[in-house]
Amino acid sequence: MTGWHVDDATLRHYVERTDSVAEGASVERHLLTCAQCRARVNTAATAVDSTMVDLAAVWDRTRDTVEVPRPLVFERLLRAAGLPAHEARLVAVASAFRGVWLVGVAAVLAFAAVAAMIGHARGLWFFLAVAPVAPCLVVAFSYDRRWDPALEPEMVTPYPAIRLILLRTIAVLALALPAVLLLGLFVPGEVPFAWLLPAVGFVAVVLAASTWVSPLNAAMAVSTVWLLIVWRLAALSATPAAVLQPRTQVAFLMLAAASFGLFLVRRRHLRQLRPWR
Amino acid sequence: MEGALSDETLLVGVAERDIGAFRALYQRHAGWLALRLARRCNDRDLVADAVQDTFVAVWQKPRGFRGDGDIAAWLWGIAIRRLVSRLRSRTDVAAVFESTATTPAAEDQVLLSVEYGDIGAALARLSPEMRAVIQAVVLDGLSAKEAGQLLHVPVSSVKTRLYRAKAQLRATLAEGLS
Repeated sequence: MTGWHVDDATLRHYVERTDSVAEGASVERHLLTCAQCRARVNTAATAVDSTMVDLAAVWDRTRDTVEVPRPLVFERLLRAAGLPAHEARLVAVASAFRGVWLVGVAAVLAFAAVAAMIGHARGLWFFLAVAPVAPCLVVAFSYDRRWDPALEPEMVTPYPAIRLILLRTIAVLALALPAVLLLGLFVPGEVPFAWLLPAVGFVAVVLAASTWVSPLNAAMAVSTVWLLIVWRLAALSATPAAVLQPRTQVAFLMLAAASFGLFLVRRRHLRQLRPWR
Repeated sequence: MEGALSDETLLVGVAERDIGAFRALYQRHAGWLALRLARRCNDRDLVADAVQDTFVAVWQKPRGFRGDGDIAAWLWGIAIRRLVSRLRSRTDVAAVFESTATTPAAEDQVLLSVEYGDIGAALARLSPEMRAVIQAVVLDGLSAKEAGQLLHVPVSSVKTRLYRAKAQLRATLAEGLS
């Protein structure tokens, strides 16, 4: 720039940190604009290993960091929520989080909510039939090995299956329940959170049933039974509100608690998650 | 050789995910950045982490450089803030702003007054705390808040010390003139 450059003695003082405050400040200000002196300092800094960090090792770590694909948005959210990196990865690789499923479920729920808004009682029945079973279906997808090829290597590693399943379930519920809740707001006449307990109850039933059968079969069985019940109630021309009254809600709560207890008791029988031999 | 390429060209390469350009940029800048950071922090691992953070940030957002000024200055801005953010989570390590030569040799002192007037002497007469604040805010371009995080002192102290340091420098320099 000005033709002035750091002389060798000053440069040595700077690198060896034997310079004064003003000298150091002056050198540093100059370095920001002078590529030539910067290169000299850089070379000196790389050469003086004893006072410096291991730049080759830092480069290796930097390259490793940037060459790993950036984690999915969902995985980063999980990490932000305090989950260790490897667990966040395990939870997020589930097929259920690959977007497609969630979009599908959201579409069905949205469709049902719209139907409930415009279609009077019939639409409300439809929403009642779909909304509570959607979360348990997503949970089932999230750890059914038919849908998640990644589960196979995961399950032969010494990692507690129950922890993985619970983490995934919580993650699914954290995504699905707000969706159900939000859409419930658009359904006229009912308390929005009335759908939550049936949804939680069915998820717990699926968890418990997956100690006997595959999670997806369990979820489909639960959905079928629920659809039959809704269909029967509709045929009997009871009002949709009958399903949502406090007594029914308490029943759902008990169902959830009992199923979850059963799941914990039978956690050693999560055989669908064991490696198939 | 890549040595002939300008920093701007290398940064374009980084934006196009060219790991070779990234490596060249690292080799050209990591050394002096690490050295300058090490003058502010005694913990070698923290400095290494800050250098790594800096280049990872460059890889992730190479377009953060808006084309004004020197790329080196942009890199330093990232690096010192990464060090601040690393230091914030570590209360056991504090930043240092001191040169090992607290009293320059006589001939150096003469050299200094020739090259920098009395500023060198005036700076040397500041208390270490005030000098650290001057360096963080005036020379490193940190905000009062960032300087506070770097030095582990409240923002209000940074502002007070900066005010006092400037007053003292002014007084010392005026004294020298009269």
